[in-house]
Amino acid sequence: MLRTDINELLAQTGPRTPMGDLFRRYWQPVLLAEELPENDCPPVRVKVLSERLIAFRDSEGRYGLMDEFCAHRGVSLWFGRNEEGGLRCPYHGWKYDVTGQAVAVPSEPTTSNFCANVKLKSYPMVKRGDVLFAYLGDPAAQPPLPEWEAYTVPDGQVFTSKRLQECNWLQALEGGIDSSHVTFLHGGNLESDPLFKGSKGNEYNKGDLKPFFEVVDSEGGLLIGARRNAEEGKYYWRVTPWVLPNFTMVPPRGDHPVHGHFWVPIDDDNCWAYSFDYHPTRQLTEAEVAAMRAGKGVHSANDPSYRPLANKDNDYLMDRESQKRGENYSGIEGIALQDSSLQESMGPLVDRTKERLVATDAGIIKARQKLYKAVKALQDGVEPTGNRAKDQKVRSVAIVLPADQSFVEGIGEAMVAEPAKPHTSV
Amino acid sequence: MSDHDHDHATGPRSVPSGPSSCAEAATAKEAAYRIDYPLSAARNTRVVALDDEAERIIRSAALLEWGQARFFSITDPGEVLAEVDGSNVPLDEVMTDTNTVVMVASSGENATAVAAIGDLARERGIMTAGLVVTPGALTSDALFHLRPHARILLVPAEEDDLIELLRATRA
Ligand code: FES
Ligand SMILES: [Fe+2]
Repeated sequence: MLRTDINELLAQTGPRTPMGDLFRRYWQPVLLAEELPENDCPPVRVKVLSERLIAFRDSEGRYGLMDEFCAHRGVSLWFGRNEEGGLRCPYHGWKYDVTGQAVAVPSEPTTSNFCANVKLKSYPMVKRGDVLFAYLGDPAAQPPLPEWEAYTVPDGQVFTSKRLQECNWLQALEGGIDSSHVTFLHGGNLESDPLFKGSKGNEYNKGDLKPFFEVVDSEGGLLIGARRNAEEGKYYWRVTPWVLPNFTMVPPRGDHPVHGHFWVPIDDDNCWAYSFDYHPTRQLTEAEVAAMRAGKGVHSANDPSYRPLANKDNDYLMDRESQKRGENYSGIEGIALQDSSLQESMGPLVDRTKERLVATDAGIIKARQKLYKAVKALQDGVEPTGNRAKDQKVRSVAIVLPADQSFVEGIGEAMVAEPAKPHTSV
Repeated sequence: MSDHDHDHATGPRSVPSGPSSCAEAATAKEAAYRIDYPLSAARNTRVVALDDEAERIIRSAALLEWGQARFFSITDPGEVLAEVDGSNVPLDEVMTDTNTVVMVASSGENATAVAAIGDLARERGIMTAGLVVTPGALTSDALFHLRPHARILLVPAEEDDLIELLRATRA
């Protein structure tokens, strides 16, 4: 269980909330690059951390992210004309550049310097790989650009999708940390999904259905090791990193691409799951990308607004027959919707005073505690971790180690991302 | 054509509606109707310190208010435990009518006692957790002695992890 006040503190990320202040120390994914595909393309509404923003790409390819509403009379700039180096409000023609600076106020005399004093609040937004990251915090505290390995590999080695999840971000994050659900909820997918099947690791998974867990504190967050019996005197380890505040990665299987997620708050009742697959040393194959686009692996089949086709309005296409046959443990198709259907069913913000946690939830308990401490530390002026390259250059790992080794020491450098270094997977 | 003639394989799916549909049930408004009643506490969580440093940590946790948790120290061979109030309790009794044992260790002493707890827990289906409170150390004897006997381990654990774990599990 968790006290109501702490639950709300961790869940609420709007401006001037304690958790919102923490989130505003990190670059966060706010759009897929495909949403602003070319210069002067249509602007896109962005809601993140409970702020209504408009994103656009100007005639020179510069990205802008700013207050959605025109400074004049509050019209949404979604209706704006994206032309000649700026976004123009269609009501009275006020025009803004990518920094939010008004560059034309045609309703005023041409000699007036009125527009110099009109500026919409704006935030820096950069493209890394196929994702646009933005920083909504104090410019003086802006961390270095994101260095996640998935977004530093060459083009063609990463694929990112996003999907709407209609619940608070913390419920979604906790699913990424909760390693003990995998055997149950996703048990049916290991051998059927093209993005998981056929690895040696899967054999260990199936051979030992009751993993042991070790939760290791790290500077940037946690490493959650799930340990299963392998050959005599050896353990098969799957190591999931969580990096503050909202990044988790799934341990790899064989030579399949590696996947992970950012759980980005939209407002306190909704979040985006940004889900990526990348391979550190090779191009993704056409077949892999096709499977990802089709919603396999950690991805989902979505409508054009990135809401999953299976959603709460159609009961996630619940299939009781497949539940009975054991193909899908919950009767819902696909990892992503298996998770989000259950997390949404808890309600937008689950009442954590009613939880009956058990010892194997220690990873979740510890993550909440680390988030809480980071919030408190920031209030005392201590900068958080997780926004520095050394925290972000982390890999998930699957490995077989001798039984008498700490998994962190056994893994050693395998957990550290380096260009063109093969990943450690079983 | 009557309703019964629909070809269910290819025909349009009916759209779920009403109180039993996910769309309706997963709203904040509906969440408020989740019924409210006292939840059962964890059943008699036992917290066991394996060395002096661990004992210091569990003693300070024991000062807080708990539902049914009890706090002990153990030394090899582990047949009898000392409860924080000073009384001696046989291991068999400590491991009766409980569903979780949390072991706290810093040094790796008393490995025989750990195994005694672990064996009994396995036999009786009791959940085991371990906190390795050796500061900064990823590898330690404490880790290796606890590892075979704790379903989940925190490495390294901070002092307040014990309190958080007990609180979160309603001990
Ligand atoms: S079994 Fe875990 S939420 Fe129900
Ligand atoms: Fe999951």
